[in-house]
Amino acid sequence: MKPVTWLFKRSDSKAIEREIEEQLRFHIDLLTQANLQQAMSAEEAKEAALKRFGDVDQIKDQCAQISRRNQPFIRGLKVLSLILFLSGVLLRVFFTELHITHLGDLLIIVPALGRLLLYVRSLNPSSFVSKPESSPLMLNDRAEFSIAAYDQRNLTPVERVISNR
Amino acid sequence: MANARTDLMQGTLELLILKTLSHDSMHGYGVAQRIHETVDDLLRIEDGSLYPALYRMEERGWITSEWGVSDNNRRAKFYKLTRAGRKQLDAESANWERVSQAITRILQTA
Repeated sequence: MKPVTWLFKRSDSKAIEREIEEQLRFHIDLLTQANLQQAMSAEEAKEAALKRFGDVDQIKDQCAQISRRNQPFIRGLKVLSLILFLSGVLLRVFFTELHITHLGDLLIIVPALGRLLLYVRSLNPSSFVSKPESSPLMLNDRAEFSIAAYDQRNLTPVERVISNR
Repeated sequence: MANARTDLMQGTLELLILKTLSHDSMHGYGVAQRIHETVDDLLRIEDGSLYPALYRMEERGWITSEWGVSDNNRRAKFYKLTRAGRKQLDAESANWERVSQAITRILQTA
């Protein structure tokens, strides 16, 4: 009974999301508390914690996505659909009788649709948001400063100096 | 001027997490704190980026997780290195040594 309960508990995507939320909230709360001890106001402490943490929704989606594809139930479904698909292809290739080729078609279409459904289910809004090109893990350069590459006339700083002469 | 911050190599975050968890089982916040304390402010790490890495590493069997109670009496998910994770840490550390030696050698000679 226990493995069955575990299987269905792991398959409950809402429960997975709740666990991830709890985990992330715990981290942000501790960051906020640490900031409060540095004499920040409650609002500043929360804001600084969120800034240091990064995009909460995107991180939650990424974790949920990884967690879902790791579910034994989903993995089983994927393996089953692959087996059915390959059986369908074999039937289509090696048999010419009409009723068997129909069965082959069915065995190809049903797993393909199932796989498509699993793919659509795994999509998250954050997958469509443009992500920054930089990595979340970077070397810190204290001398870093930025210069606008182009002005309104589409000139670089060097071109501006030359044109102003 | 190009952005002076440089992206680190793929897999570096995983290596840092593996090394951090090799001492003790920890929750995500603990891992982040330990890394921040160790690297001082030489590396800028978004704390949240640790979580997808932790989930990926758990999926690969390098770490396991378990819900427990933290020092402040709150429920927290604790991560622990597995035997496969320890092997991965050894392999990744050796690889890092090799790569950094190779780059240093090139920089010194070229």
